[in-house]
Order: sequence, then structure tokens, then C-alpha cells
Amino acid sequence: MSKQITMDIEEIINKTNEFLIDEFEVEEDDISPEANLKETLELDSLDYIDLVVSVESNFNVKLDAEDFENTVTLQDFYDLIYRKLK
Amino acid sequence: MKEKIKKTKYALVTGGSRGIGSAICQQLAKDLNYKLLINYKGNKEAAENTLQKVIEAGGQGELLQFDVANAEQVNTVLDNWHELNKNSIIEVVVNNAGITKDNLFMWMKNEDWKSVIDTSLNGFFNVTNKLIKNLLVNRYGRIINMVSVSGLKGTPGQTNYSAAKGAVIAATKALAQEVAKRKITVNAVAPGFIVSDMTNGLDEKELKKMIPINRFGKAEEVAHLVSFLASEKSSYITGEVININGGIYS
Repeated sequence: MSKQITMDIEEIINKTNEFLIDEFEVEEDDISPEANLKETLELDSLDYIDLVVSVESNFNVKLDAEDFENTVTLQDFYDLIYRKLK
Repeated sequence: MKEKIKKTKYALVTGGSRGIGSAICQQLAKDLNYKLLINYKGNKEAAENTLQKVIEAGGQGELLQFDVANAEQVNTVLDNWHELNKNSIIEVVVNNAGITKDNLFMWMKNEDWKSVIDTSLNGFFNVTNKLIKNLLVNRYGRIINMVSVSGLKGTPGQTNYSAAKGAVIAATKALAQEVAKRKITVNAVAPGFIVSDMTNGLDEKELKKMIPINRFGKAEEVAHLVSFLASEKSSYITGEVININGGIYS
């Protein structure tokens, strides 16, 4: 069952970028679909928990460690949230 | 940046209704600015008695009934609690719940092995695993695992208990390294003979001859140590096992 049927990929990208800038202090200029998620956010292994919590509070979807296995770029990350919302 | 909401801070003590657990609840209430979550499995009267003592000590608290060995129950109770206490954080976790089912290993029944492992070892996993995510996001926390001299030196007749406590000691050291960066410390406290229900059937007069300090310890003495480890004063201690045993083993 869809959790947020009305949210399209553009909205997901905008909302995601918003919390990346706001909560993870990512520079707006550093955000692009090809950007490496781990490097752009300067994530270490523990920092993924912050990302999981942010996604949960912004989109009401739960992510697990396995979800990040093939998530390399920001585009992968947007797609991951999109898939989870479906 | 979003403004951080100040959260109400709690300390959870599993098996907090009696003995060392009860003493810990009371000491934390006296020393630190945490509301107490007193976990109990079945003895509500004893848990209420502890809560009363916490209140008399100037603290606040509430009871939380679950069996640490039952992962589903732990999840449900803690999920419900978090749902009702959205602006709260369990910042101190004292994994104290434990049971003994002593017997010589050759007579030990499978269920006695399993139940001791389920409570003392898996109980640590069930509770701590459930709460660690919030502690990581909180970027501060204290995890204190009550182990035993049995987990360090091994005690005949307690192969199950020694195995469970030894495993928790190893888990303490591993987890401490995983989460240290987020200002979460993980330590273990290893009591020797302490006057409590668990040592009720023991011959203190005979056993104290083996103890350099020549007496059993008091639950309050253990509680003082736990209270220190739960405080900010212990910030640079992590992955440690601290003996409190009157010199019987080091």
C-alpha cells in the first residue's frame, strides 16, 4: 500500500535536499544526483543512523543497513526513498 | 538548523525491583538527574516498593513490566513507552536482570542452560539493541552491564551463569569500541558475593573466609559504583570490567 501516493520523485528530491542542507550541513553547491552520498555527507558508519532517523521523520519510512548496500550516489538515495514510499 | 527540543531523561534498570537492582534505582535517584524506569518481570509488589523508595529519595520513576528474555515483549513495551513519551530519552541503561539455575554441569538440564543464557545474555541484547539507535542519535549515553566474578574466573556449579556473564563481558568490550565516538560508554560491573536474594542460600560464615575483606558486600556498595559509571564523571572509562568483590578476584 502506498504511504504517500502524491509524492513524486521531484518532491522527494527537494525534500531530501532540504534536510541534507538543514540537518547535515551539506553545501547546496555540493548537491548533485551524481554526488557520492557517503563523501558528500562525510558519513562514517555510525552516521548512517542519523540518515535513517531523518528519512523516518521526513518520509515516515524505515531504512535498514541492507538498503544502503547499493546506494552510492544521491540519485540512488532519492530512488531508494521513492521505492520505499511506493 | 532545527532547534533541539530538550528531552526528559530516563535511566532504565532491568530487574530493578529487588536486590542490587533496587539499590541501583535508589542510588541513581539520589545522585543523578534521571527519572527511573524500574523494570520487573513478575514481582510487582517489590517493584512498587522500589518505586516508593525512589520517591522517598527525592526521585521520580515508573514501573515497566517485561521479561528481558522475551524479545517481542521488550520491543512492544519499549515501543509503547516511546510512543507515550516522545520527548524523552532513555540515556542510561543498566542491564541488571539475571537469573541463576545452578547445578554441576553433568546434571545441568538443557532448559536450565537455556533460561540463564536467555535472561542474562539475550536479555542484554534485547534491551540494548532496542535502545542503542536512540542513544546514537542522542550522542550521549551510558550502558552498564551487571556481570559477575563468575563471568571472569568461572564458578563451579554455574557453568551456564559463568558462560552468560563471560559473553556479556566480551560484548561490553566490543560495543564500547563501536559507540565510543558518540560519547556512549559501555562498562561492566562484576560483583562478588553480595548480600541479596541470589546469595540467600549461601553459607556466609564459611564463604567469607575466602574473601580478603572478610564479609559479603552490600547492594548499596555496588549501587555507588553503578551510579558513578552512570554519571558524566565517568566519561573517559569505557569497555571496562570493574570488580567489586572484596578482593576475592582481580
